[in-house]
Amino acid sequence: MLVSWRYKYRNSPMDHIDPRARWIFSFAFLIAATSTWNWMFLLTYFIIALIWYRLGNTTWKETRSGWRLVLFMLFMMIVINTIITGGGAGGVVPPGGQLVWPNGFNLFGKTVHFGLTIERLWFAICQILRVLGISMNFILIPYTMDARSYGATFSSLGMPDKLAYTTELAIRFIPSLARNFSVTMDAQRARGFELDDIKGGIFSKIGRMAPLMIPVTMNAILSSEDIADAMDLRGFGQGKRTWLYELRYHRWDYVVLGFSAILIIGGLVASYVLHLGGFVVPQFFYNLFA
Amino acid sequence: MAETDPLPLVIRDLSFQYRSRTEPAIVDISLELHPGEVMLLAGSSGCGKTTLLRCINGLIPHSYRGKLSGDILIFGQSNAGMKLAEISQKVGTLLQDPERQILGSYVLNEVCFGLENLGLPREEMIRRGEAALERLHILHLRDKETFGISGGEKQKVALAGVLAMQPKILLLDEPLASLDPASAREALLLFRELADQGMAIMLVEHRVEDVLTIEPERVVYMEAGRICFHGDIQGLVQVVDYHKIKLPAQVVVERAKSEPQPNFEPAVPQLDTSKPLIEFQQVHFRYHDDAPEVLHNINLKIHAGEVIAILGHNGSGKTTLVKQALGLLKPTKGKVFLEGVETQALTVAKAARTIGYVFQSPSQMLFAPTVKEELSFGPKNLGFDQETIAQNVQWAIETVHLEDELLTPPLALSFGQQKRVSIASVLSMRSRILMMDEPTAGQDYWNYQAFMDSILQMPGFDSIIFITHDLDLALIYANRIIVLFDGEIVADGKQFDVLQDKQKINQWRLVATSLLELNFQMYPKTGKFLRAEALAQLLD
Repeated sequence: MLVSWRYKYRNSPMDHIDPRARWIFSFAFLIAATSTWNWMFLLTYFIIALIWYRLGNTTWKETRSGWRLVLFMLFMMIVINTIITGGGAGGVVPPGGQLVWPNGFNLFGKTVHFGLTIERLWFAICQILRVLGISMNFILIPYTMDARSYGATFSSLGMPDKLAYTTELAIRFIPSLARNFSVTMDAQRARGFELDDIKGGIFSKIGRMAPLMIPVTMNAILSSEDIADAMDLRGFGQGKRTWLYELRYHRWDYVVLGFSAILIIGGLVASYVLHLGGFVVPQFFYNLFA
Repeated sequence: MAETDPLPLVIRDLSFQYRSRTEPAIVDISLELHPGEVMLLAGSSGCGKTTLLRCINGLIPHSYRGKLSGDILIFGQSNAGMKLAEISQKVGTLLQDPERQILGSYVLNEVCFGLENLGLPREEMIRRGEAALERLHILHLRDKETFGISGGEKQKVALAGVLAMQPKILLLDEPLASLDPASAREALLLFRELADQGMAIMLVEHRVEDVLTIEPERVVYMEAGRICFHGDIQGLVQVVDYHKIKLPAQVVVERAKSEPQPNFEPAVPQLDTSKPLIEFQQVHFRYHDDAPEVLHNINLKIHAGEVIAILGHNGSGKTTLVKQALGLLKPTKGKVFLEGVETQALTVAKAARTIGYVFQSPSQMLFAPTVKEELSFGPKNLGFDQETIAQNVQWAIETVHLEDELLTPPLALSFGQQKRVSIASVLSMRSRILMMDEPTAGQDYWNYQAFMDSILQMPGFDSIIFITHDLDLALIYANRIIVLFDGEIVADGKQFDVLQDKQKINQWRLVATSLLELNFQMYPKTGKFLRAEALAQLLD
């Protein structure tokens, strides 16, 4: 059975914004935030995202599993990719630059030379601002948007009905998969299987995950067949459909839509017409390492 | 209905063979279904019942390809040229497992899903959706999340979704399979009521005895894709092999008089109450902080020599209870001990050395390329040596009678065989306690009786615990019954003590069966509870 994300009505400001306006805002934010590496823009967007996030009135306890995933991705992207290997900064940070530790640093009595530049470090900070800003926008959605609204919203935004409903199901497929994974995990633990015991290299570890991955995948395939049957039996996809969920714009929604328009147009004009979106390291940051 | 009006359903010489199969699934089926009629379609697993329904509702050939011949006329019109949307307005289908049918995240959305597909205006959808909920007496569920409602309620919600489309024919594919006895009885009365209002109903069901209580006008019995019997109830109970479908106990007793006494000797050891194997001390449990409590103050001791049946309504906390014993769930308050060690201090892997737990659905655990590897998985995890693993695998496969399938991929087997592999994969761990969650679910009568007989006669278990909705199963196989109601143990003891008060049985949402009543009648003579075939030998 498809389950939904753990949405609950909180009577928060976010609960009173039309889902269409929310999706439009989030995508406007995404486009604006990905069109620039300028720290001033990114900091502004981050503050906007923070205010937006606060409108949801969610608690850390509710959203922590989502944040754990984001923080893991950030760690991989920033610490490993940008800071250690420098890979993520390619194409944005010019080659060369000023070393953070020009003479190396002392580690357990030995001098270590590590080629981290001030520019790469600043770039990592910009990445953090951008990823956290975007994440705040999208993490909020499953916890604060009524699961009944997805299909009607996508359809109202111009998506074909069939695609709109299947997108809704796809969104709900993620928590359903997590639930199935948990059931299979329990079934295999009852047979003495412990995930912590998995040792060996990456391929060996993947191989030993088979007792979990195969039943979960097979169940996903079987349940998708059941879902298709259940939809067919009630005439899905045979013509133009209507939606039970009622969408209606209110005064505040127009404010959100207006702000989204400013965000996307302003962001794109600043980056691509006025060329203000380039990566720059502020002088105060250089001064910290002087 | 005027004399000249076409019948809701006429099937003529229908045959179908799935593209991937070498044998036809159904052969030369001819039937008529009249308005206001309930037709019971019975038969063992794989006899073609579901295929027949798929042909009627259009899933064959729209979703399942193969060789189809013959005619299906729905109100005089062949369904061959009809779109699924057209068929679905005339033929409503309720699938076996409501969990697999429900799409909407909230009840009203689920009920209105078909109406949305028909493009009806919102007001009309709400009107029809609420009317369907009202008709099934579940209007109070209107704004509830579908995930959070009980199994019986899910079944009714799924049915409301079908009824909202106002079909004239209703196809029901094992609608009682996941329901507790009281919910099943309510569902059956509802089907009767719908038929009495003019709907034509075709009901596929293994629980034949239960269906007979609503007096279906016609009964069809199928075997190997063909109709073997087509007539009324009286005809069926005389003709059909009572080993294959569950008939009322009185009928079986009459017909089994001339048969030899069934030989059944459970292999569990003598009762030993000196030291409990499992002990629950004032256990409370909730799934998360803001969720309601599921188990309330459970106090329980399980000893060697006990075969325990856990009964209770849908959502009463049966599965949650047994998962505590293995440590898959830990009590929110209170303590659970496994052989004297608190489960908080045990890993599940360690607990699995003592308790073998068979989950309800085999597809949740089967993964290996061969049955042999599947059966080796548990003992390997427990660190057994190669020789012991080989011995255990051989013993387990022989126990479930699947020796010929050792090299077959488990997922390529039938559902019943998969279920047996899942049990064998737990048996091979040689745990001292066997716990089974709905071991007979999805199996036909003959298979589940044979299966339970063999499990209970298997040596090596100190105790066997099984969750079931089938009162007769508890009656025949258990020596202790525990009844859970809304997360509390409301009865615990021998069959005679627990099941003698009919009023209480009804309160707990269990339903007294004909076998239970017959056993109580004969108890002064038998002194124990027996299956109908055994009772037949004791009648004068």
